[in-house]
Amino acid sequence: MARVLVVDDAAFMRKVVSDALASGGHEVVGEAGNGVEAVKQFQALAPELTTLDITMPEKDGLEALAEIIALDPRARVLMCSALGQESKVIESIQKGAKDFVVKPFQPAQLLEAVGKALAA
Amino acid sequence: MTQQEITPREALIRLGASTGEAIAKVLEMFVPGTVERGEVTVLADGVSPFANVARGSIATSVSYVDGVTGANVFVMTPAGARALAAAMGAAAEEVAEGADPSPLSELELSALSEAANQTMAAAAAAIGVVLGQGIEISTPDTRVLDDPAGAADIYGTAPHATSTTFMIAGESCRLIQLVPRAFVVRMVRAIDEESAERTDSTVGTGSAARAARSAVDSSPHSLALEEALGGISLRVWAELGRTRMPLGSALGLPVGAVVDLDRTADAPVDLYVNGMRFARGQLLVTDDGEWAVSLDGLDSQGLSMLDLARSAQAQPRELVEPAPEVVEPAAESSDIESEDRIEDRDPTSTAEPETPEVTQSEVEGAVK
Repeated sequence: MARVLVVDDAAFMRKVVSDALASGGHEVVGEAGNGVEAVKQFQALAPELTTLDITMPEKDGLEALAEIIALDPRARVLMCSALGQESKVIESIQKGAKDFVVKPFQPAQLLEAVGKALAA
Repeated sequence: MTQQEITPREALIRLGASTGEAIAKVLEMFVPGTVERGEVTVLADGVSPFANVARGSIATSVSYVDGVTGANVFVMTPAGARALAAAMGAAAEEVAEGADPSPLSELELSALSEAANQTMAAAAAAIGVVLGQGIEISTPDTRVLDDPAGAADIYGTAPHATSTTFMIAGESCRLIQLVPRAFVVRMVRAIDEESAERTDSTVGTGSAARAARSAVDSSPHSLALEEALGGISLRVWAELGRTRMPLGSALGLPVGAVVDLDRTADAPVDLYVNGMRFARGQLLVTDDGEWAVSLDGLDSQGLSMLDLARSAQAQPRELVEPAPEVVEPAAESSDIESEDRIEDRDPTSTAEPETPEVTQSEVEGAVK
């Protein structure tokens, strides 16, 4: 079970992800609504895993990912992508994300991706 | 053949249809069996696209911000918006019987924004296929339209506008697209280019051909992923067998040494795509003297483009396991076209092996 930081600009998606993580026995230690908050929360909380939305205001997921990886090259980041964002998904993996999940997803799909990201 | 076979109006209808189809497919994931896309209407000059929008409607908007410009506003009745939010899991607060329904909660509005984000990302991918380039979208904006007459102040105006109707859970909704002139010009050009390609070839292979087919019979998933990922070149190799030995022994192997592998000569070999085993088969020698593999079993019938993409993205860690002995380039099969791509190997990927496992032999190629 892992301590997880959940990042998404939509409060609804933060709830969906947090509920799914809780159902899988993971602990959501923090939430952030944009990339700037995400980097701050990552530094403050040192989560074992960060779920990261791609399209966000102020600082998007790819920019936040780059900063997180710069802070901790071994950080485990799981990208949450929408359909049609495959090029950004590939870019995020190249930048160090461990895995990704495509929205809309079922809780089991998220937990499977979380498991892969944690095992990576 | 004329230089221009499609009119701007037809291009706008194509735009509305392609966008609407992509949106409908994603909405169908949220509210299965209750989504129906209706007609695409190109609005006449001077007609406000918000003229018939009822006061109190819920509007979510997403703009194209890179690649092209333009605004997309999805207008829902409050009941339709509530039904969609509830289907997504954002349950409404309970209201006493007979009381006026409460305004949508922040969580419901957030769910609607997320729906707009996901649907328009898929739509942007669909349009990107038509135009042959990536299109970025803005973060969504969701609000109650208390004064639809003033919507132009919120969303701006454009020379062209389309309205595409939907039924969601029995409620009428519509997508309003505000389309700049340059966007239409590019649509016309892209579709005309496709027409020219079709003239030259009986099978359309251009972006617009793919989009046209997609608008009819494919999901946004295939638009967004398979169209894009289908062109990615992946490494394919066959594994003859493997064994383990201490690193010192491996380094000390002399020329002429024989390393026993863990399989018999008549056992099937495994076929890998970027580290993911996906098939087994018999090793053959072709008439040209090259190695080939005849597939006799697929390990994962459900191996999807996403799996392949994930496998491709996991390539660096897969290659931590070294494969120093490249036997022979080949590995053609009935359904995978291969070519010699030994030079594609990342020379750094085997530089720091964590495990001294050194006897994987491979035949390497690439899927086109």
